[in-house]
Amino acid sequence: MKSTSELTDFYYKELYPSLNELEETRKRIVSQLKWYGGMGLVVFSIAALWMGKNFGLLHPLMIAVVIGFIVIASITYRFTTGGYTKDFKARVISPLIGAIDPHLLYNPDFMITQYLFERSDLFKHSIDRYSGNDYVKGSIDGVPLEFSDIHAEYQTRDSKGRTQWHTLFRGLFLVAEFNKHFKAKTVILPDQAEKNFGSLIGGWLQSINFSRDDLIRLDDPEFEKHFVVYGSDQIETHYILSHSMMKRILDFQRRVSHPLFISFVHNHIHIGIGTGKDLFEPAVFTSLLDYKQAMEYVNTLQNTIGLIEELKLNEKLWSKE
Amino acid sequence: MSVLLIVLGVVVLIAILMYNSLIGKKNQVDNIFAGVDAVLKKRFDLIPNLVASVSQYMEHEKSTLEKVTELRAQAMKPGISEDQKIALDAKLSAALGSITVAMEAYPDLKANENVMHLMRSLNEIEEQISAARRAYNQAVTDLNNAIEMFPTNLIAGWMNLQRRAVFEITATERQNVDVNALFNR
Repeated sequence: MKSTSELTDFYYKELYPSLNELEETRKRIVSQLKWYGGMGLVVFSIAALWMGKNFGLLHPLMIAVVIGFIVIASITYRFTTGGYTKDFKARVISPLIGAIDPHLLYNPDFMITQYLFERSDLFKHSIDRYSGNDYVKGSIDGVPLEFSDIHAEYQTRDSKGRTQWHTLFRGLFLVAEFNKHFKAKTVILPDQAEKNFGSLIGGWLQSINFSRDDLIRLDDPEFEKHFVVYGSDQIETHYILSHSMMKRILDFQRRVSHPLFISFVHNHIHIGIGTGKDLFEPAVFTSLLDYKQAMEYVNTLQNTIGLIEELKLNEKLWSKE
Repeated sequence: MSVLLIVLGVVVLIAILMYNSLIGKKNQVDNIFAGVDAVLKKRFDLIPNLVASVSQYMEHEKSTLEKVTELRAQAMKPGISEDQKIALDAKLSAALGSITVAMEAYPDLKANENVMHLMRSLNEIEEQISAARRAYNQAVTDLNNAIEMFPTNLIAGWMNLQRRAVFEITATERQNVDVNALFNR
């Protein structure tokens, strides 16, 4: 695998012609958006003035107009940037992934299947809306893996019968083959209870979580502080979470600073990184040639694919060949 | 009167909860020990094969190999206590470790597919045993804490629960084993 500096070089050298063209498009789009925005503002002000005179500013119709404008604005935004996004993914993200490893396949419109997401058992809530993009599949050092952006949501109704959407998970979701055989299920979640209520009450709250398997205490206090582990087999959980594996997961957690969800099911490791945003989207209001922007794309990819090496999933264990 | 009854009721309820949690912890320990036993048995099954395939090469380690066989026979005896099993396991791990180290000196052995396969299996089992030991130690620590801490210690005393021994992840296991010392024993 290539290093970050090699990839940054690649970004600026190999992709430079594409980036330049895209940068032109971006500038055009920004000026277009500015023009639309200005026009929209004028139209909106006139409408608001007229409405305010005739119905009063807090009239229900006024709210409808505001919502209407927001909808039109977002449609316009998407319409204007759609082609640019597609171009960006085809001409920047795709070659960048190819540069990391030529065996990786990239599809900007596809995602990790809902089946795999639910198999991970990381989120107990039923999912009402599932979407995602930027799907990568392939193998690194002989370890099959796939990942993509995922946005999973569920729906609730309030007392007035209005539906509300809640995000269950938004971020990067990765599934890779694990290097040890196991039959049981192990789920690692961010430790909320112990952080909020201290180890005594928090620990007790965790142990009575009926929707989960048994709470498993591990012999690494630092790990216990950050995560809570549930599993269906004490010994297998300890087998998977060796001291070195716990240390590697902790190191990773320290680096990403987003909530980390990890589960071991069906001989695979499932990792959810709750970034809370859609990754690999082109910048519209900052330059593509901006160093920070470039580093973000390179780092996200590098960190995700580097997980295989970081967690040493490529070290084939003994009988598993 | 009714206040007294409520207080009594609460006390009984707490006692029942403590009793049940102690039983739960004790069963957890037994349960995990069964798991430890299962992986230890896996290793026992592997040992005769390993000894048979390496003994023709390892002339100088005859006594270590004999020791391993003997330890295995002891550990396989029915009716030995958990503590004895734990002690035998530690000795067996050390002896096996010394064989692994000694194997480095025999290039013929390392070229032997069969032996290498056995060693890989042994490695994997060792990893499983280590995991089982850690899980067991955790469960035992939970139980021992409950037995010694107030107020569960009162009930534990009445139930006649005893502290259990933990597997010591011995220093000898981590170090390269001193083969000579093993021979001279």
